[in-house]
Amino acid sequence: MKRPPRTHRVVAVVAVVTLVLPAVLRESALSVYILLELAAIVTVGVSLLMGYAGQVSLGQAAFYASGANAAALLSLHGFPTGIGLLVAPIVAAVFALIVGIPLLRLRGHHLAFATLATQLIYLSMVGRMHLTGGDIGLQGIPPLTLGPFVLHADRNYAYLAWAALALVVLITHNVMTSRPGRALRALATSEVAAESSGVPVGRYKLAVFALAAGFAGLAGGIYAFYVGYVAPGSFPVLLSFEYVVMAVVGGLGTIEGALVGAALVTVVVQSLNQVATLGGMPSYAPIVLSYAAYSGLLIVAVLFLPQGIVDKERLRALATRWRARWTTPR
Amino acid sequence: MLRIEGLSRPFGGVYAVRNVSVDVADGELRGIIGPNGAGKSTLFNLISGHLRPTQGRITLRSERIEGLSAHERARRGIAIVFQGARIFRGMTVRENVMVGAHARTRHGFLDAALRTPLHKREEREIRQSTDAALERVGLADWADRYAEALPLGQQRTMQVARALCGEPALLLLDEPASGLRARERHELARLIEGLRGGGLTIMLIEHDVQFVSNLADRLTVLNLGEILAEGAPEEIRRNDDVITAYLGREPAP
Ligand SMILES: Nc1ncnc2c1ncn2[C@@H]1O[C@H](COP(=O)(O)OP(=O)(O)OP(=O)(O)O)[C@@H](O)[C@H]1O
Ligand SMILES: [Mg+2]
Repeated sequence: MKRPPRTHRVVAVVAVVTLVLPAVLRESALSVYILLELAAIVTVGVSLLMGYAGQVSLGQAAFYASGANAAALLSLHGFPTGIGLLVAPIVAAVFALIVGIPLLRLRGHHLAFATLATQLIYLSMVGRMHLTGGDIGLQGIPPLTLGPFVLHADRNYAYLAWAALALVVLITHNVMTSRPGRALRALATSEVAAESSGVPVGRYKLAVFALAAGFAGLAGGIYAFYVGYVAPGSFPVLLSFEYVVMAVVGGLGTIEGALVGAALVTVVVQSLNQVATLGGMPSYAPIVLSYAAYSGLLIVAVLFLPQGIVDKERLRALATRWRARWTTPR
Repeated sequence: MLRIEGLSRPFGGVYAVRNVSVDVADGELRGIIGPNGAGKSTLFNLISGHLRPTQGRITLRSERIEGLSAHERARRGIAIVFQGARIFRGMTVRENVMVGAHARTRHGFLDAALRTPLHKREEREIRQSTDAALERVGLADWADRYAEALPLGQQRTMQVARALCGEPALLLLDEPASGLRARERHELARLIEGLRGGGLTIMLIEHDVQFVSNLADRLTVLNLGEILAEGAPEEIRRNDDVITAYLGREPAP
């Protein structure tokens, strides 16, 4: 009998476990789980940008925020909430296209700073605008209603985020294993050779920037309905760093890396949060500890695991060994 | 096939290519020779679109192309193998070559995400023509290695396969034989002959005059950015100007 490929079995196991989790987790753990899923959605996009297309974004939380704001605004103005969720990724992607046209002329550190600046500008604009509720933000966002289902319980949002993450993973996988994905990976190391193979480098860079922003916008939309309010303070610059740390720690350029990175960093930071909010801790302890955790993880990853935890080479070697073991006649 | 008229491109006041006109017939193999810094690679970059000329016209199959970008020219059938190894690191040899098919295929992000019939059809075809191209250049055994793991000579050969995978109408080869061993050079020469036999129009830059002379229908000699001579290989090798400029010695009395 032919065995299903190893990756298929791993995917099946992970899918089952992550689907069972919301049913068994306690409430506080469930909210961590949902935030983890949302972070994973954004991180898959960041990993796509950084690992495949060679672009760095330190402003990904701005796209997340724009999705959240779009979803919140539409549903507060009487549109069906389902429309709000659908529009969230579109608004984020369009936002990315608009800022991407001038920004993507930059590379490396310059691009990183420019995306960071984009987020700062976005936050200060949203914080001043009456439409978006200023610094207080938008409150009283109705729960998401999809057909006959009204999503009240946290558990529902866990499953919604799960489905969104699965969609994002599927899209990324499909794109990366075909013509446009190869073109992206190609232009990351040689734009000149990619151009001369017929790849419209500028347009492709913009497309992947918008795609990653769309992922972030989708996560932001879910976040808005789940939490019920969005304020500029919900999307600090630290959040953008978090996504980059997750992508780097997990290993750039792999979907698995993004997922593992998001899971690990979320769990570590949340655990530290528990410690930081114990009695007797100063009020600034959580923020200080999370900065420490991000930088610590980043340094450890860069020094000791340059390919991230999910090291493709290492895994490939491992996989070949296993395959050899199974295919040798006994 | 290709007509170049009065093409010029200076770098900081010094012309790398100056008032160059070349006509390459359909199916011709044109050799380009000239000393270091003569402007050969610059001429190729002007043809492939990586550089824009300040003056002059380039016509490919009766279409003016000097205003088009490199990827648009690739779609019109121009493929280039660069002098340096320009490979896609972190991708296997097969994947590198598959990128070459980009110019003649069209499924995009949406097709890929939705796995449309167009995507499936094109992917299958790309895979087949890639394997054929790898077979043709003799790299089939290396297909699953990372491109950066290849020796320099094979990286160059891989670029030839990448160019072929795009099924070009005009193939620009910038010193493809450099870095190859004698046996590999011989195989490359046979490959180029085969391609020409298949009707492909080729321009070949090469330092080894013997090597190009055996392959080319005509030679164009560049010196200091200008055309010094043009003609059949035998004529060129008897040309006194060429001997002086290119071989750097006085013609035999
Ligand atoms: N991007 C550039 N910027 C400035 N000068 C350049 C550039 N590219 C080429 N040149 C100059 O143009 C001239 C022609 O260079 P080119 O590379 O075309 O020569 P070549 O004939 O290909 O030489 P070789 O045989 O060494 O490859 C040289 O003097 C070179 O220094
Ligand atoms: Mg050159």
